[in-house]
Amino acid sequence: MMMIIAEFFVVILKVMWAFVAAGAKWVVPRKEKSVAGQVCVITGAGSGLGRLFAKEFARRGATLVLWDINSQSNEETAEMVRQIYKELDAPPLKAEAVGGVEEVPTFQPHVHTYVCDVGKRENVYSTAEQVRREVGEVDILINNAGVVSGHHLLECPDELIERTMVVNCHAHFWTTKAFLPKMLELNHGHIVTVASSLGLFSTAGVEDYCASKFGAIGFHESLSHEIQVSEKDGISMTLVCPYLVDTELFKGCRIRKEIEPFLPPLKPEFCVKQAMRAILTDQPMVCTPRIVYMVNFMKSILPFDAIVCMYRFLGADKCMYPFLAQRKEAMNNNEAKNGI
Amino acid sequence: MNFFLETIQVVLLSIWFNVESFIHLFVPRKRKNISGEVVLITGAGSGIGRLMAQEFAALGTVLVLWDINKDGVKETARLAQSNGAIKVHHYLCDCSDKNEVYRVADQVKREVGDVSILVNNAGIVTGKKFIDAPDSLIEKTMEVNTMAHFWTYKAFLPAMIANNHGHLVSIASSAGLIGVNGLADYCASKFAAVGFAESVGLELLATGKDGVKTTIVCPYFINTGMFDGCQTKWPTVLPILDPHYVVKQILYAVLTDQVFLLLPRSMYLIAGLKNVLPVKQGLLLGRYLGAFNLMDTFKGRNQKRD
Repeated sequence: MMMIIAEFFVVILKVMWAFVAAGAKWVVPRKEKSVAGQVCVITGAGSGLGRLFAKEFARRGATLVLWDINSQSNEETAEMVRQIYKELDAPPLKAEAVGGVEEVPTFQPHVHTYVCDVGKRENVYSTAEQVRREVGEVDILINNAGVVSGHHLLECPDELIERTMVVNCHAHFWTTKAFLPKMLELNHGHIVTVASSLGLFSTAGVEDYCASKFGAIGFHESLSHEIQVSEKDGISMTLVCPYLVDTELFKGCRIRKEIEPFLPPLKPEFCVKQAMRAILTDQPMVCTPRIVYMVNFMKSILPFDAIVCMYRFLGADKCMYPFLAQRKEAMNNNEAKNGI
Repeated sequence: MNFFLETIQVVLLSIWFNVESFIHLFVPRKRKNISGEVVLITGAGSGIGRLMAQEFAALGTVLVLWDINKDGVKETARLAQSNGAIKVHHYLCDCSDKNEVYRVADQVKREVGDVSILVNNAGIVTGKKFIDAPDSLIEKTMEVNTMAHFWTYKAFLPAMIANNHGHLVSIASSAGLIGVNGLADYCASKFAAVGFAESVGLELLATGKDGVKTTIVCPYFINTGMFDGCQTKWPTVLPILDPHYVVKQILYAVLTDQVFLLLPRSMYLIAGLKNVLPVKQGLLLGRYLGAFNLMDTFKGRNQKRD
């Protein structure tokens, strides 16, 4: 009995200290770690957030390994990355060229592209094997690839539901299995799960997406606990939960018009900058914008009826309907993009 | 409605809902009558599936029992019949197989009729550290614990929507709200089940189908053998639950249209805190409650396949 009381007091003190520390972080910015020379794998790098992550990591001198199902957009991202590498290298080379001697830089980051369907387990494993052979051991894994079926559950073909699940959730299992063992061995690595605020709370019309994002978050959390217990403190994990981002994925999603000015769809660059800061300071979780923390907080403590009430008020309950309608129209006009 | 007025309305309603919830901690809610309803329970061959079948039977319902284990589901059918069910049908079904789910669902619709209460209870756990878990078992966990819910909903929800009458019960787990060391694939599947059930629930409300209810059950460990060997650190705060208690609470939640049911009651506070505290403090709390070592002595039971 005494044991639990004593431990309880210690916990209270630690909790209070933690709040102080968390508060201090608001005032004192943390130092961002360097990723120059590290190997960074990004899934879904062909577009949206994946592309922006690639550019950000390129700016910091990391070696990039880009995975996407679409080889054309993947190559486009790679081209952008090469541009950035050139810009990084330009100044010192210019200075040396005068004497006719070009100094070989100490480290030359490269970008490697692979076409990979992360929904297929064997594809992930074989591509990972290739990466290990051709590039080396992976330091940073960004599980970013994501799809949405764009149909209400009862109108959604089963294959699309399964596809959403295997790309948004199962893919994380396979990439983790492929790269984590070496990270554990070297006690060095960082796994980033790009989930969504729709993995913390759900909405109507995107049942498959919500299920898959909740699953990805559950997996991330559980895995981070496993790593904590294994005491491999060289391995960090970051969970990124953005609110609606203004990319192609959810084009058309709309909340109530009076609230929209306060909660517009996020600019992807802003979202990625926030995520980068969190990743480079080993922050375990980041939600953008900050108000998502508030929504998560309220969802945890309010009764369900109150939450539904608020959803209706914000127009969040039907926010996906215009997006679904757009998708339907696009399909009817045979303009459906082949991302699904 | 005017934005300002609606804001006031939402604030007042929110306050009222909180007060109402608080009152109902002490004043029992009115239970609805479900006699004559068709109740389908997956994983009815053992554990809480079997106990739920008996409880639903006692309320005068028609039971449809699914399980992968023939002897188990037959025994449950016998117990349920003797407990007062109007009629009991049992079927062999492997919930990890989409086509089998649809086939048996069609059989049920032909032989029994429309299901009005769907209880997605079937669940498996591998209990291995993630890196050591075989991929096939990871996939199976996802198929039974999550995907099966998609298929059963697709099979039975249309009729509920057409009649604007029904109840969707999802037996998830508190591992569907909080990640647990040693349960990476199980947590992924249970989080997904929770997110899915919630999303469908919201869709039903958005489309005005308020006659179709949702109940999501998130219990802590129950001593049915599924999590045999697991140890809880502070039994007074987080006891390993007795299955009879759990099932009684589930029935109460279903009969009073409660949306989220967390067991034991301390779980509401714990899950709430986890979402409110900064991540590191959540971890501290987890360590304090022994969440990091829950699965250390896991033994489980072997799933028998017919």
